Amino acid sequence: MTMAGTTPRRRVSLGGALPALTGLGTLIAFFAIMEVLIRSGGLNRFIVPPPSEIIASFPRIIVEEQVLSRFVMTLTECLTAGVMLTIVGVSGGVLMQRFKLLQQACETWVAALASAPVVLCYPLFLVIFGRNAWTIIMMGFVSGLPPVILKTLEGISGTRKVLVNVGRSFNLTPTQQFWKILFPAALPTIFVGIRLGLIFALINVVGVEFLINFGGLGQLINELAERYDLSGTYAAICFVVLVSVLFFMVLEKAERWLTRAE
Amino acid sequence: MTAPSPKPANADILVVDDVVVRFDTPDGPVTAVDHVSFGVRPGEFLSVIGPSGCGKSTLFNVIGGLLGHTSGVVSVCGETINSPHQSIGMVFQEESTFPWRSVTDNVAFPLELIGMPKAQRIERARHFIALVGLDGFENRYPNELSGGMRQRVSLARTLASEPKILLMDEPFAALDEQTRLLLGDKVLQIQQQLKQTTLLITHNITEAVQMSDRILVMTYRPGKVKRIVDIDLPRPRTSEIVGSEAFGRYVAQIWADLREEASRGMRDEEEHALHQTGAAS
Amino acid sequence: MPASAPVLSPVTLLRLVIILTVLAVWEFLSHSGWLYRDVVPSLLAIGRALFDLLAHGEYYFNLAVTAGEVGTALLLGGTLGLIVGIVLGANRFLSRAFESYLYYLGPTPKIIFFPVMIMWFGVGPGSKIALGTLSCFFPVALSAAAGMRQIDKVLIRVGKSFRASTAQMVFKIYLPAMRHPIINGVRLGLGVALIGTLLAETKLSNKGIGFLIIQAYSIFDMPRMYAMLIVLFILSIGANSVVGRLGGLDSIKRS
Repeated sequence: MTMAGTTPRRRVSLGGALPALTGLGTLIAFFAIMEVLIRSGGLNRFIVPPPSEIIASFPRIIVEEQVLSRFVMTLTECLTAGVMLTIVGVSGGVLMQRFKLLQQACETWVAALASAPVVLCYPLFLVIFGRNAWTIIMMGFVSGLPPVILKTLEGISGTRKVLVNVGRSFNLTPTQQFWKILFPAALPTIFVGIRLGLIFALINVVGVEFLINFGGLGQLINELAERYDLSGTYAAICFVVLVSVLFFMVLEKAERWLTRAE
Repeated sequence: MTAPSPKPANADILVVDDVVVRFDTPDGPVTAVDHVSFGVRPGEFLSVIGPSGCGKSTLFNVIGGLLGHTSGVVSVCGETINSPHQSIGMVFQEESTFPWRSVTDNVAFPLELIGMPKAQRIERARHFIALVGLDGFENRYPNELSGGMRQRVSLARTLASEPKILLMDEPFAALDEQTRLLLGDKVLQIQQQLKQTTLLITHNITEAVQMSDRILVMTYRPGKVKRIVDIDLPRPRTSEIVGSEAFGRYVAQIWADLREEASRGMRDEEEHALHQTGAAS
Repeated sequence: MPASAPVLSPVTLLRLVIILTVLAVWEFLSHSGWLYRDVVPSLLAIGRALFDLLAHGEYYFNLAVTAGEVGTALLLGGTLGLIVGIVLGANRFLSRAFESYLYYLGPTPKIIFFPVMIMWFGVGPGSKIALGTLSCFFPVALSAAAGMRQIDKVLIRVGKSFRASTAQMVFKIYLPAMRHPIINGVRLGLGVALIGTLLAETKLSNKGIGFLIIQAYSIFDMPRMYAMLIVLFILSIGANSVVGRLGGLDSIKRS
């Protein structure tokens, strides 16, 4: 697999539920200890509110701060960026694979861009696009683009030689060779690229919302923090973390479903 | 295919005439195939055998039209081959099924290319799937099949294009010995049933003797024709023939030829390795 | 490559064409007046700003502040990540209990924790370091855990067959065998630590590169902002490739 860490997927005879229960138990114990420490004054409750208070402020946040419409807003920005980076990224990768010279000239540039802190351009984007959703969408788009291009390129160039030869032995035209062999062979890798691109898009969309105090969930955290609504801030952060974890899980499921034949 | 009537020996369906393949390598030009000539008769099973490095895979790619040759002519039914030809169906040594297509869609691939309507090509595909003994697996994907089954899918896919000549490059090389023998039986049975002209590239003597009407033995680098052996064993054959005395004689005879070439290859490789480490240090 | 290449190679030529085209279009736009004033400043103005930036000590002071924060974050987060990663990689039970939490928390946006970090560590460098540490912990831990599990089991059996001690196993087998995933994790960690620290600086601070960028934005000094982004990108791409080269990632053929 291509990501640095993958979930341990092997099922071994370690008593199925025990490790999962240990993990969950530790988490609950941690929150319980925090609760006790804060209530007993061992930790300053004006820095860390007790977990029970954070949980209690969830309904308040959801009702009073329109979390749902903010969530839809963030998701829309993220998916808009996702559509853009899929179209631009995949066609960019295909183009670079088609024209070797272009690949030789630009691949290192794209790779370098992937390792640069592109999100620091947000003040620049703010000037160019103004304080509106497009600044956020474009930031998500630009930071998610490199993995889509690179993975598309990797997928198509990495097609096994023998599959290319099978196509040649059946006398495929270059167009058929692309659509019947190279592209389907590259699809699983391209999906990995799109998944990575969407993850980067979400991270940067939420981050820029927070930084420029505009838009959906990111702005909510900023607002609550500026109001010194302590338990509200913590609750909003928890909500965003939960939403992003859910987002990754959905993306993984989608990817596995799309590549189920492989 | 219709059963061809017996034809005179000189009506070869595939002719390889004085073919030379030379590569440019960093160490200078290397002749992989050196003035090789032979013909394949309609309905015949011909094997090309040789030690590794004798250029038999190069020959496979040249006959299949995937690789250009330096001089000489390859022709099928009188047509010269410079690029892949529809009369030749190739089965590759490596796993070559499409992982994104089901067994049926894999086998229907060549039919799809000629624009056959969907219902019809599925029916045709089923016919060939049954022929290789994979009925019941039509809707499975390659990752759900064993290596031997996947190789049968590749075979069915190639057969579905109804080639005049079936060209196979060590199709069983990656399989274990028992699977290889059983699969050999299957191929032989299909070949007899379809009267399929077959050219098999292999380095396995047992396999070659078990299946072939004739065996062409190649020399180690540069690859030349060392000898062509007629295998005069009764048909139909199965892997049981491996135990017979006549079979053993053929194996011994071909091994005697090959042994010389293989040991030359081994010496050459040792020298090459020695030379390389010497140059590196 | 042939020894003598009097004309430029096609690749270099294409690169030059692309760069020159971009610059020409840029310069054309800056003089066209189609866009808001100064969104696309002329190349000359950017060049002048770049020179101003690099000629004054103020920039180097802020660069040192940011570098110090990032370095500290990398050290703290990296060490912590390495320890956690090795423990998770060595113990299948712990890995199954906790690793999926790390795996899913890893790619969440970290900057949203900044208000909390301010409460805990104040408005000074402490909160920036904390955010950088938090960011870089996850990739290092996940890479180390995965790297630990990827070690070829036969190498471990070889070590044991020579009756190597635990320390010898760690230093002569485990760490050398995991070198590449670890370096790769550090590379990813450096990238996110840099982003976390800089973003935090743009949000609330009075020194550091992030502060300078947001200051240029607030006074609408676009040439200066471009100049700073250019230098920042060059520095971070350079740092990234240095870390990669230290680990020999470029020279390795088989992963």
